[in-house]
Amino acid sequence: MEVSSVQRLCLHLISAAFQRCRVSEDLCRLSVVLKRSSDSDPSTVRISNILGILHCAPIELAYDVRAHKHADVALISSTFMKFCHEVIRFFQKILVLKIPVSSTFDSDDVDGFCFEISEEGGVPGSQYRKVFLANECNPVPFSASNVERLKSGLEDYVMKHGNSLHRKCDSCFPNWEHLKVGSGRACCAESHRSAGLQMEVVIIVSEISETSPCFRSSSAETEVLYFKDFSPCPITQSSLTALTNIDWKSYGLVLKSIAVQGGYTALEWENLPPNIHIDMVLHCYHKQYQFTPPGQKTRSNRNLIKKAAKLALEDLKEKHAGAFLSAHALKICSYAPDLARTIAGLILSSNDSEFQEECFSILGLQSQNIINEIVEDSIQQKIISVIQMNDGKPLRSKEAASSFLFEDERLQEPNIQEEEYDAGELVFSSLDF
Amino acid sequence: MLKWKQSKKMEGNRRRSHLERHDLLRKIKEFCKSILKDITERRSLSISINQFRNYCKNLDAHCSCSYDFPQGQEILTLEKQCHARRIEQSIVDQAINDICILLQCSRHNINVVSAGKGMVMGWLRFLESGAKFDCINSPNDAHPIPTFVEKVKDIVSTANYILVVEKESVFHRLANDQYCTRNRCIVITGRGYPDISTRRFLRLLIEKLRLPTFCLVDCDPYGFDILTTYRFGSMQMAYDAKFLRIPEMHWLGAFPSDFEKYGLPKNCRLKLTVEDTRKTEAMLHRCYLQREVPHWRSELELMLQSGVKFEIEAFCACSFSFLSEKYIPSKIQEFERLAV
Repeated sequence: MEVSSVQRLCLHLISAAFQRCRVSEDLCRLSVVLKRSSDSDPSTVRISNILGILHCAPIELAYDVRAHKHADVALISSTFMKFCHEVIRFFQKILVLKIPVSSTFDSDDVDGFCFEISEEGGVPGSQYRKVFLANECNPVPFSASNVERLKSGLEDYVMKHGNSLHRKCDSCFPNWEHLKVGSGRACCAESHRSAGLQMEVVIIVSEISETSPCFRSSSAETEVLYFKDFSPCPITQSSLTALTNIDWKSYGLVLKSIAVQGGYTALEWENLPPNIHIDMVLHCYHKQYQFTPPGQKTRSNRNLIKKAAKLALEDLKEKHAGAFLSAHALKICSYAPDLARTIAGLILSSNDSEFQEECFSILGLQSQNIINEIVEDSIQQKIISVIQMNDGKPLRSKEAASSFLFEDERLQEPNIQEEEYDAGELVFSSLDF
Repeated sequence: MLKWKQSKKMEGNRRRSHLERHDLLRKIKEFCKSILKDITERRSLSISINQFRNYCKNLDAHCSCSYDFPQGQEILTLEKQCHARRIEQSIVDQAINDICILLQCSRHNINVVSAGKGMVMGWLRFLESGAKFDCINSPNDAHPIPTFVEKVKDIVSTANYILVVEKESVFHRLANDQYCTRNRCIVITGRGYPDISTRRFLRLLIEKLRLPTFCLVDCDPYGFDILTTYRFGSMQMAYDAKFLRIPEMHWLGAFPSDFEKYGLPKNCRLKLTVEDTRKTEAMLHRCYLQREVPHWRSELELMLQSGVKFEIEAFCACSFSFLSEKYIPSKIQEFERLAV
């Protein structure tokens, strides 16, 4: 057996164990133990797959590769450590799904699952043990939906720097406000061929201070985590196409390139500020298992990803006004100071103090101590707020028509006597005509 | 508190200078307040500007072109209008026009005037901001047309008609020939396409003096366009057309038929260029021609069919004073004969 296929098989076994946990709809415990036999071939290891229900006795499945050619056992060659890293990485990723898992390991009471590598008959203390804590700082209720879990899982992933830490990094994330989270879910219609296909996308934008020790200068890259049916897997071509075709510009993002290398998918952005980092996860699964030939799913996948990603971006935009403005909106915002200055100039250059006071009152400013800058700033802020609010929304024709001034020609030229002139609003009654 | 002007409808249609200053100020203030309310209440900024049109190219059905009413609206929004453009004359012009439409006034009401380029001579006297312009003493001396037409007062004239000529060269030709000495008239030139001051001044003279007005242009598409600009107004200033047009204007010449009639030398006849032809064909589609001046339209069609054009100077090819001694007087006599 080749190394890579062995690795794939191992990961598949682990994944299968997770699926068993998940479908059991109960808290499970999970541990994967790699034992390296000291006798015979030193490169031979056994994988024990232990699955048990809490409070029940564990069921141990352990096979020796030489004696039984069983599918639960794989032969590992000398790229042992590399494989371990793969498994660790696998665990780090699968935690993002936040499959409900809890376990007690021997004498340790840990909430999570455990990956253990040990050598039989080896020097005591030479065991390698990595424990993955599931619900440490960001618990989700057992009844939470998949997308809620995904959101929470990605938050943990980000705050624990790719789940390489046991708890969130306090120097980078002293509080939750540094994360901007958006999620979107799309599914195929009931009548569709691929009915039951769900696509969930979560996008997190994090801000890391440049003074933080973990600051990476290569943060213009986004790793895209891809899950299919609750298991990490390499991204599909249709998903890549979908990601390329998303209108990132409407959200102020410019996609430079997408690269896939050895199971790692990265999106590279242009002009992203150095302290901003984007993380993304896509999860495609069936509500109920059904077999569909691979080709048929492609188009549904692509459309679903686009839809779900768009929903996630809209979610971000709505929650964080002003943060994801399209390039167009930013351009318009750059004109806001001039426009504000002009309007302020109109008001301040008037000789009519009543008119000025009315304007200040509309703006919500106190008429005492008014200086030009205050008026300009106030108007500018309001203009920017309108631009942000309307970014991406089509202009409704009703709104446009309603602002038509001076509608009726008869309202135009009343003969106003100089002394009776009132700068306030003119009121007409039907008797005037 | 508010009183209506009884004669508002009648006067208002002829001249905008009665627009009160505080009326405009009021509108500006209301506009400003409405913008502030929009942005404070977080409504998208949008302004609706009436679109005016002198003519359309739709000859089949009855069109709705009118000098009084807009043909549609353009909506300006913050989101739509924002692409960086160099500040050019045309952009500024459009912005000023939009403001005039919004405030329903003319350019001079908001103190936007350009230096006029028109000239006048003849049997006319008037005051402009106190300064006396006496052309009567020297009727063949050219005077510039005043820029601030609303400041023109005390117009006195003994002229029998007003002659508008397209080109400055023709104007000087007539001055040299002492045309105004022999003919009691006022001669005006816009020196090409007439500017707003020229058109307003002409309009003022006609209102005050009630004189017949004749227009002398080259027999080519541009001459015809200038003629229609005087008579119907320009598309660019369509919103102000009802105050700038001169519905009483007559087309004196030159007509395509004049070439043969007056035996002009053949070398003065030029072929219409491709652009000339295109322009003529486009002009033939203007709805007001068919509706109001079908005889002008026929002459234009003749021009297109013959495929030739000529300038007024062709009349001077035989003799310099042919234009001022023969052509113009005979044309005017023809008009007077027909009028009787």
